[in-house]
Amino acid sequence: MEAMAEEKTEFEESEIKYVSYGGEHHLPLIMNLVDQELSEPYSIFTYRYFVYLWPQLSFLAFHKGKCVGTVVCKMGEHRNTFRGYIAMLVVIKPYRGRGIATELVTRSIRMMMESGCEEVTLEAEVTNKGALALYGRLGFIRAKRLFHYYLNGVDAFRLKLLFPPPPPPRQEL
Amino acid sequence: MSDNASMDGHPPNLSSIPAGDSSLWADASPLLQAACTGLRDGELIHGDNFNLFAAMSALEIMDPKMDSGIVRTYYSIDEAIENGAAPIPISPDSTIDVQCTIDIMDHLLACEAAWHKGHSLAQTVFSCIYLLRLDRTAPHALLHSYCRVVRATCKAVVSVVSDARTHEEEDLFTMVYGLPLNGDGDDKCLSMLNAVEETISRQLRACKAASSKRRLPEDLEPLQSNPNLEEGFCKALLCRLRFRKHFFHILACMKRPQGRGLESARKHIASCMTELDSILKSADFVRSCFGESCEGDIDEKTTASGHEPIGFDATLNSRLSAPMPPRAIKILSWKKAVEYFVKLLHDLDAICSYSLDPHLESLLRFVVQFQKSQPDLVARSHLQLLSVQDGKLYGRDPFFAVITKAAALPEATKNHDIQKNESIVQLGMLVMNLLKILCTNAAWQRRKLGKLLQDWRVIYLQLELAFRNEFGEVSSSSNDENICMKIFQHILLWVEEQTYWIAFRFLILGFELELYSTSEYCMVYWYLYAVLIKLAEKTHLKMAVSYDTAKRKGKKKKDSPKDLARESRIPPAVLFLQCYICLAEGLTMMLAALRNEISVFQSPGPFNTEQEKFAQHFELLQRACIPDHVSYPSYKESTTHARFSTLAMYNYFKDAQRMVKEVKSSFSNDPDRLAELRKLEQVAEHNSVAQNLICRLGALDPSLKVSFEFSHHPFFATVVVKRS
Repeated sequence: MEAMAEEKTEFEESEIKYVSYGGEHHLPLIMNLVDQELSEPYSIFTYRYFVYLWPQLSFLAFHKGKCVGTVVCKMGEHRNTFRGYIAMLVVIKPYRGRGIATELVTRSIRMMMESGCEEVTLEAEVTNKGALALYGRLGFIRAKRLFHYYLNGVDAFRLKLLFPPPPPPRQEL
Repeated sequence: MSDNASMDGHPPNLSSIPAGDSSLWADASPLLQAACTGLRDGELIHGDNFNLFAAMSALEIMDPKMDSGIVRTYYSIDEAIENGAAPIPISPDSTIDVQCTIDIMDHLLACEAAWHKGHSLAQTVFSCIYLLRLDRTAPHALLHSYCRVVRATCKAVVSVVSDARTHEEEDLFTMVYGLPLNGDGDDKCLSMLNAVEETISRQLRACKAASSKRRLPEDLEPLQSNPNLEEGFCKALLCRLRFRKHFFHILACMKRPQGRGLESARKHIASCMTELDSILKSADFVRSCFGESCEGDIDEKTTASGHEPIGFDATLNSRLSAPMPPRAIKILSWKKAVEYFVKLLHDLDAICSYSLDPHLESLLRFVVQFQKSQPDLVARSHLQLLSVQDGKLYGRDPFFAVITKAAALPEATKNHDIQKNESIVQLGMLVMNLLKILCTNAAWQRRKLGKLLQDWRVIYLQLELAFRNEFGEVSSSSNDENICMKIFQHILLWVEEQTYWIAFRFLILGFELELYSTSEYCMVYWYLYAVLIKLAEKTHLKMAVSYDTAKRKGKKKKDSPKDLARESRIPPAVLFLQCYICLAEGLTMMLAALRNEISVFQSPGPFNTEQEKFAQHFELLQRACIPDHVSYPSYKESTTHARFSTLAMYNYFKDAQRMVKEVKSSFSNDPDRLAELRKLEQVAEHNSVAQNLICRLGALDPSLKVSFEFSHHPFFATVVVKRS
């Protein structure tokens, strides 16, 4: 019986380089990754919207000069809370299961926290066990279920991470 | 870019446009050309009122109205028809014509099911070109009458779902922009269908007579040219026509006010089921008479024959109708479509079988039970419309009367003037709203129930204030004031009970919707325990007060021993809740002990703590103070000392087992509650054993793995202990 052979690339975690979005030269890399792996077709203006307005929230992962993963986010005021939103997260198949996605998301969330976000949110298909486990480990809860959110009829969870309140300012003696 | 603009840079001659009174035309093509060559791919001109967000939102990929790169076979319905996409007759060969008609009927059924399941009407039922131009099918009586009934049916169904007005996220369902849903004379569609049915029935009798060599006086024209297939085709068509007839009748009957048509509806539902059965049985014949077999998996096809139907193009509407997602969708397979309709009929039958019990509690239980079978939007809308019509329960009972009955007040109270009190009126609206929300899909329902908590809390405070204002300082007690006081007292108690019931429902739906991860179960069961304690308390109090009131009304001078016994006995409804309480407490403590002793089922993350998760999950409950004095610190305090040794001292699950056994006899006439009690018993039994095992071995055996399954009960987990 043949085992399901998923071609995985061998690499050391230290070989992965994480880079903050650096400009137009990164845009085609992000677009190619997302177009390849995610089912939603986005126009270039969608990508531009995110990376131009919040370049500090998007990160890329490189292995030996090749872009193997990316995360694209935004943040802003939403009903009296300052909230971060994770729009796209992709790691190409041969590099999955090694913590690259977790590292990309963690960097984004840390930046959101430092920028004053009170919470972070995203939607994920209820069947996307990998994403649910990843975000669960980072402290997201499943705040809501969205019935038939995706056009193929699949439900989604709205995942939310609530940051603890910032420590009170220290009293100057 | 319009269809007319040529691609080679030669614009049409515009100098011929004459100047008007206040307008002068100038050719802007060179300017646009220069702009086009000045911009590189992906570049965008932006300004103050056209920023990146606007640019992103303006573009919709694959929507042909703005994505002109999307190529279609036909760009209009007329073009499709001119090119023979929907011929009338479908084929000059009458046998093929009949086969194709059956295929169209089957595909339409599949489209209808896909629509019910959540896709747009435009991409499903109205992908049928024959339906888009119904009048031109007039020469084809069979197709015409069938399409007419389908159109009238769709319109009736849209009407029901629109009237329910809680389309939840399913607002795609009622989108009918630009679709020809209204037809003159569609209300007479059944008479047209009956005429065709009659003709085919006669034809069927004729070929049966011919096969038995009997001669019939009539000289009928056969349906099609192959006499060997005539009987089969007649039967296949008749069941399809009759299904449509009875389904249309069901909708009409169920629409009748105050549930007057429910009994008739049940008869039509039974007929529909019979016809669906015949439709399924006709599949073999329909498939075989084509000669060549179709390619691919027959189970995935949208027709019984397995062949592609003629006359459908989902892309035609994409340029005509307004918001319609431009993606290609998958129409349900014919088999799945029939399954869907069977389920729909079962669900409608359950609704039609309901007794319209004037007791609100009975309806609430019915709705909760009904929702367990996961009915779809059409069925749920019908239930909602039955429950609340014209601001009354079942269109029949004013909500004040319903509330007084639910609050165990005497019958005459329903006429009391207090119903004009603003808070009482608002309470009526809240009850109506609650009923509507309970009929929605679980995901939507939970969100709305959470929001309701605040409203019910506020109404309680308002009523309490009104009560205190009226009776706070009153020393004299006129008869009427006594009655008012009694009404307020009962209603306040009832409102509290309902509020805790809503909170209970909000929490347990989280299990059904898979919102809780295992590391959150401890706090959820703890909160559930806290809510259940209050619910049981309020329920018990309400029953005690109502007994008290009844006793006083009866003007009893002395309590008989039997009365005293009845008064001290805990009512079965409360005992039932106590079973829940035992299980909730047991699970809380077990999870806490596991966490405290062997550090499982906790999930520390890098960004936040359990306290944030508590705050998020219970935000709406906390905001409404349901219950009071419940907080994260009190949760920690309750659970921080749980150990295997403390678990060993007291087995909540054994308690639950005992209680379930005791209370079973009180529900011997209630099959639903009995069934649930049995499930609770199984959970208690399994968990008791698991707890003993964990207590004995938990700290010592690291290979012991504990997990949770909802195999016996939907919200009380069964603990599973395995060796890894």
